[in-house]
Formats: sequence, C-alpha cells, structure tokens
Amino acid sequence: MSNEMDVDSGDVPPQVVGTDAGPSPAEENDTPGTDISMPQQPPDDSPPQPQPPAQTGPNYKIRYSLSGHTMSISSIKFSPDGSKLASSGADKIIKLWDTYTGDVLRTLVGHTEGISDIAWSNDGDYLASASDDKTIRIWDMKVGTEIKTLLGHTNFVFCVNYNPNSNLLVSGGFDETVRVWDVARAKSLKVLPAHSDPVTSVSFNHDGTLIVSCAMDGLIRIWDADSGQCLKTLVDDDNPICSHVRFTPNSKFVLASTQDSTIRLWNYQTSRCVKTYSGHTNRTYCLFACFTNTNGKYVVSGSEDTKIYIWDIQTRQILQVLEGHRDVVLAVATHPTKAIIASASMEKDLTIRLWYDNSEGA
Amino acid sequence: MNESLISPFNITHPTTVQTSLFALASFARFDPTGRYVATARVDGTAAIWDLDTRAAVRILDGHVKAVSSLDWSRYSRYLLTASKDWNVVVWDLASTCVPAQRCATLRFDAPVVSASFHPRNSRIILALMSTGEAYLVDQRKAHRARVELCEVQEESDDEGAGTSNRVRSAITVARFDPSGKHIFMGTSGGYILVFNTRTKTMVARHRITGAGAIKGLEFTKNGRQLVSNSADRTLRQFTVPTYPPPTADDEYIEHELEPTHRFNDPINKTAWHAMSYSPDGEWLAGGAADTATHKIYIWDISNEGQFANALDGGREPLLYLHWHPSKSSIASTTNQGNILIWHCPHPERWGAFAGGFEELDENVEYEEREDEFDIVHMPLPFSIPYDYLIFLQEDEADMIRRKMKEEEEEVDIDTVPEAAKPREIQLHGVLPSDEDITWADEEPDDDRQNWTMRVIMEEDWDI
Repeated sequence: MSNEMDVDSGDVPPQVVGTDAGPSPAEENDTPGTDISMPQQPPDDSPPQPQPPAQTGPNYKIRYSLSGHTMSISSIKFSPDGSKLASSGADKIIKLWDTYTGDVLRTLVGHTEGISDIAWSNDGDYLASASDDKTIRIWDMKVGTEIKTLLGHTNFVFCVNYNPNSNLLVSGGFDETVRVWDVARAKSLKVLPAHSDPVTSVSFNHDGTLIVSCAMDGLIRIWDADSGQCLKTLVDDDNPICSHVRFTPNSKFVLASTQDSTIRLWNYQTSRCVKTYSGHTNRTYCLFACFTNTNGKYVVSGSEDTKIYIWDIQTRQILQVLEGHRDVVLAVATHPTKAIIASASMEKDLTIRLWYDNSEGA
Repeated sequence: MNESLISPFNITHPTTVQTSLFALASFARFDPTGRYVATARVDGTAAIWDLDTRAAVRILDGHVKAVSSLDWSRYSRYLLTASKDWNVVVWDLASTCVPAQRCATLRFDAPVVSASFHPRNSRIILALMSTGEAYLVDQRKAHRARVELCEVQEESDDEGAGTSNRVRSAITVARFDPSGKHIFMGTSGGYILVFNTRTKTMVARHRITGAGAIKGLEFTKNGRQLVSNSADRTLRQFTVPTYPPPTADDEYIEHELEPTHRFNDPINKTAWHAMSYSPDGEWLAGGAADTATHKIYIWDISNEGQFANALDGGREPLLYLHWHPSKSSIASTTNQGNILIWHCPHPERWGAFAGGFEELDENVEYEEREDEFDIVHMPLPFSIPYDYLIFLQEDEADMIRRKMKEEEEEVDIDTVPEAAKPREIQLHGVLPSDEDITWADEEPDDDRQNWTMRVIMEEDWDI
C-alpha cells in the first residue's frame, strides 16, 4: 500500500514523495507532533489554540507531489467518483491526473488566456473551464476534446459550477454578472446583474433550486435558480472581500472565505454567522475552502503562508496543518469518498500535492 | 429547498403563465420529478422538454400516426407512447443514442387511445383500444400475458330483459389507481368498473347516475379521491371506497357511487377536456373545452370544493392540462401546439439585495428583550490571550465572548431537512404486506429513485 510510488507524470519528471520513503527536506515537518503546531499566529485575530493531537483527529500525510503546470495553478477538482483530479492554471492548460497513482492522464489545450476555475459535471463525463479569454469551455473528458464554447461574458470569467442535474452551468466574472447557461446548447439563459465588483465564486445548492454568489464587493447573495430573483444578501460588518462561497452538503448553511483571514459558516435563513474559522492567512488571493466528512467533519482551506489548514467544523479548532508547499496554496479539494486532500500552489512551487489520511487506510 | 427563503406559507395554485414552449404538441405531461414535460405531436413523434433550459432534450420518433397518450414510469426512466398506428412504444431514457431507440414495442389490433405503466413496475402496461377493449400486458418472464379485461355479465338477471340483452358497453377510459392495485375503467354506459390488477378480475361496478359516457378519470396522489369527467359536462369527485381482496368465485360489488362534489360551469355549460389535482389534493384544475379561449378553472377542494379562480391563457383554446407533481405549476396545451407553463409568481423583494435588512409591510414598534443590550460578565474563554483583550473596550470583549459562546452550538451540515425531501405518500387501500404490491414488485424494472437523465451534448439540434 505504501510503496506504490513509481509515478510517471508524463511530460515533466515527477517529484514523488513517499510516506515510507523517508521524508525529503521539504516534508521534514510532517511528523504528527509538529503538524499540529502553529508557528505564526496572526496578531490581530487570535483563534482558539489548537489542542494536542487527538486519537481520532485527522492525520494527513503527503503521498504524491505532481508537477506539470508551468504557471500558477488556479483550481483543482476531484471527479465525482474521485478517481481523477483535474487541475487548471494560468498556463492556459487543464491537466487530468489519476488520484490513486499520480499519473498524468491528459492535458487539455485550447484556452487563449489563463484559466481561473474548473468544474466537473455530475457524471464525470464533462468538465467546464472558466478563463480570462472571456469564454467558458466544455470538455468531453472521455475523448479529451473541447465540445462547446460559451460566449457572453464581457470580461474575465472567474468561477464556474454545474447544477446537480448538470444541464445548467452558473458562472461569474469580472463583468460583475452571474450567468446561467444551458450547457447542451451553449446558450446563456440568465444574466443576473449580481454584484458591483468582480464575482469571485458562484455555485448551486444540493437540489439546484438556489444559487449562491460572492464578490469583491464583500456581499454574499442567494438567488432563486428558477426565477433569478435575489432572495437574501449576507454581509459582514467590516465588508471584507469575499473570495469563496459554497453551500453545506445539506444546503442549510453557506461557507464563505473572506480576505480578513477568516472563513465563516452562515445560517442564511437567519443571516447569522454560526461558526468562524481562523488561523490561516488570506489577505490577497481568492482561496478555496472545502468540507470533508470522510472520517471526521472538517473544513479545509489553503493559506497564503504556504500551508493547508484543517479545522473541526464544530469546535473551530485547527486539528492539522499540512506543510510542504513553497508558495501560496490557492486551491484545495477534498475527495468525495476517501480521506484524501489535494492542494495546489502558485509560481514558486507549481506542484499539486495529494495528502492521504493513513489512519483510514486509503 | 428554496421554498423556505421565498415564503413558507405561500404554496397555492398557479395564477399566471410563466413561459410558453413552442412544441407543436397535442398534449404535455410532467414527469414524476417535475423537471421535464413530455409532449406528444400529431406527426407521431414525442419530445421531452427540460424545464430548466426550456429546450427539447429528447426526440422520440416511433409512430407513423398521432400519439394519443403517453406515460412516465415511477422515477422517470421509462416513457411510453401510445398511438393511433396500433402500437405502444416504450422508451428507455437512459439510452443516449441520437436518434433515440425504442426499447419495446407492443402491437395491438386497433388504434390505441390510451396506455399507461403500472405505477410500481413499468413492465406491466394497461392499454385501451379505440374499439373499447382494454388489455393488461405483463412483460415479466414469470407472468408474461396479455389479458383482456372484460366486464362481468350477469347470468341470472333480477330484472329480466333489462340487462340480459344489453350490449357490452365500450370502455372509454382505463387507468391504474396510484397504488397500482386496481384498474379503474369508465364505460360509455356511465359505469366505473374496478378490476384487481393481479387477478385481473372485476371487483366492483359503480353506476354513476346521470353521467353518461365517462370521458376521463383522475386520482389524487394518495388515491383517496377520484374525479370523473363525463358526457354531461360535469366533473364528479368521489371518495374511493376500500375494496376487499378478490374472492375465488369472482364476486364483485355492485354499488352506486355518490359524488362528494360536482363541478360544472353553470353559465356557459362548457365541457371539460382534462382535469388534474394539485400534489396535495387541495386544488382541482379543470381545462374547459371552450372553442374561443384558453380557460382553466380552479376549485378549492379543502374548502368544500368552492370555485376559486378562472385562469385565462389567451386566445388559443385548451386541449389538455397537467398539474406539476410537487409544485404549484400547471402545464396546459393549446390547440396551436404551444405549452403554457403556469406558475405562482413571487413578488421581487428588493430588500433582499441589502444585507441585514428585512422588509416589513407596516411599521413595527421594536421591543427589546429584557437583557438584549446588557453587558454580561462571564469568565474569559481560555483561548483568547489576556494581553489581547486588554486593548479592547470592555463591551467589545463581552461581544467576543458572547460570539464565542454562540458559536459553541453544534451545526448539522449533512442532514437534509425533512421538508425538503420528497414525502412518502400513504396510498389509499394499501396494506403493510400487500399481496398485490408484492406481486407488482416481482421482476422489477431498472427504474431507480434519484435516476437522472443524462445531458446529451449535441452539436446541432434538429427539433
């Protein structure tokens, strides 16, 4: 289980780090004791101090480090069955990786500018990509070809997501609109004048009836997917730039990352913040945040201090900090069924790392 | 899921047309999930429209004459189309072939006027011929059969000449009840016949006084109420009786059903083309057979069946209507082939655009709670360093403490609230271990709950 390290990532020699192969210098801190320590505390908002590692806490360790992108990696997403990982970057390409071996399966070329976000359809057959070339492209992942180009955004497209049925796409961008698309016909169905600054994140809820969007204007808005009406606006007192938002799996709350180095869980019915997660650094970039409930319920986010933070959803305490990247960790993704976290970093690093929680035997 | 944000107490009947689909359809029916409508065209094709994108997503070309009826299977995977070309075609929508391939064809000896799937198993099909005969076709290996459902004729007649010479009256409507236990059939003589699906024997015969030929039958979702449409231009609602299990000697109940409500148009005396219950059974919609206008009448069943509203859909007369399986929405078809999707619009709340505001209909005097703005001193949580707190105003520190305490509360991020889940409906007349239900569940089809139709990404769509 632990020695399947022979990884061929295709065009670029892979950098593979094994769990048993002895830690390389960069991963020396990965022993459980130091994982949990928090070297630098941001002085302004002190979070609860982390507890000593509990037996049941997360114990993620690096399994693979994947190289291939030549510019900052902007987004990584596991396929719905978890077998593949797609990554996109400022180098205008999309790469497809095997989650369990780390092999490069495919490189998709077509966008004429950098790509900011990607999204899988629910059957895993298609991938949508949002790019600075103002288009969204749909890729057939079985064949590896581009099959649709969605034209309409008048500026960079920054975020994209499918609805659960995967007949609709929702996208947001620097033209400050949220657009809903008919995927099969590459047709724009709705243009919501959603925000007054670039839209940084947009997604559907679990049954496709609601859309949540957030923007650099600091607002989180919830929309009725059918009528396009705005149903709710959430705003924090200090109005920090909002960089990522998503519904909880049951759609009762939204998780929002803001550039005051805080992630908040909002009850949007009552407009109240019910949980605050802090300790990481987020002041400049739009970092992704994820849920995982494979063997414990955690919130996972990258950080501008090159680490990845894992919080307990209920206690809001930092349970593990993953170190190893050498630049800002923009994107993280959690495996749909196994205790695997993927993370991706910017220019000075350019690797995608796959972290496995060995305690689950993944 | 969005209901709670829109307005929880606003679930009512539709009032206005939301959209019109140019479908060239002769009628349209929602699928059980409510995401699609299936439309039938006079040229023999059927089409499936996605209500999210308002575009046709499947074209089913299988008949050479007009499609007379169509039905969805329980979880929307299968669709059947019946046609005047004597065929019933079953389509498996899991197939993504273009053009779509049929998965079964049933041939009959006469034009088919209606056909439907058994509500629990799409391999049992009920078909009605234009000649007035109804067949139950069972395609399962162990039960393979095609049985004509025949009305029992009295042998020893009490009244002598009256019924013994009676010509067997033609069957004009045939439907499963929502559980699939019984088949209800209307006859040209104004009777409703009830058959047991498993034994295919008649269990009851109900005379409907004054109705004339029965033209249509519709059930509420739970199967407790039944509405009939008949030649006398009146819709009658009945409470469905509970039928005993069929006996060995083929006894049946002869019983006159008395309607609980009668619905008609007392002024224009219009006939009805179609009727449909709302999902909760609290509203009944009737599509008027008016030759000049598109009129839908809504009656409030929960309020003694009072007339509630007449919806005007413009100049194109109505042919058919069908209520959405879960929402307050109706699909009505015009004689020009357009499908009108009716909904109940929610007024745009502009207050939703501003954070932390709530719209009020009138001024409210705000009454603060006793301790709402009090500063309560509590011991500091250990996690906030003391030297950090001394920089804060005292009340600010209290606010942080209060906030920290509030955040201690557990949140549930995984469990979908019960109200958002599709409710399991208690079907009328179904027992816990019902022989008829077990029989229908033998050799099940591949129709599974939460089945989703795949999106076909076609280069060019030829609708």
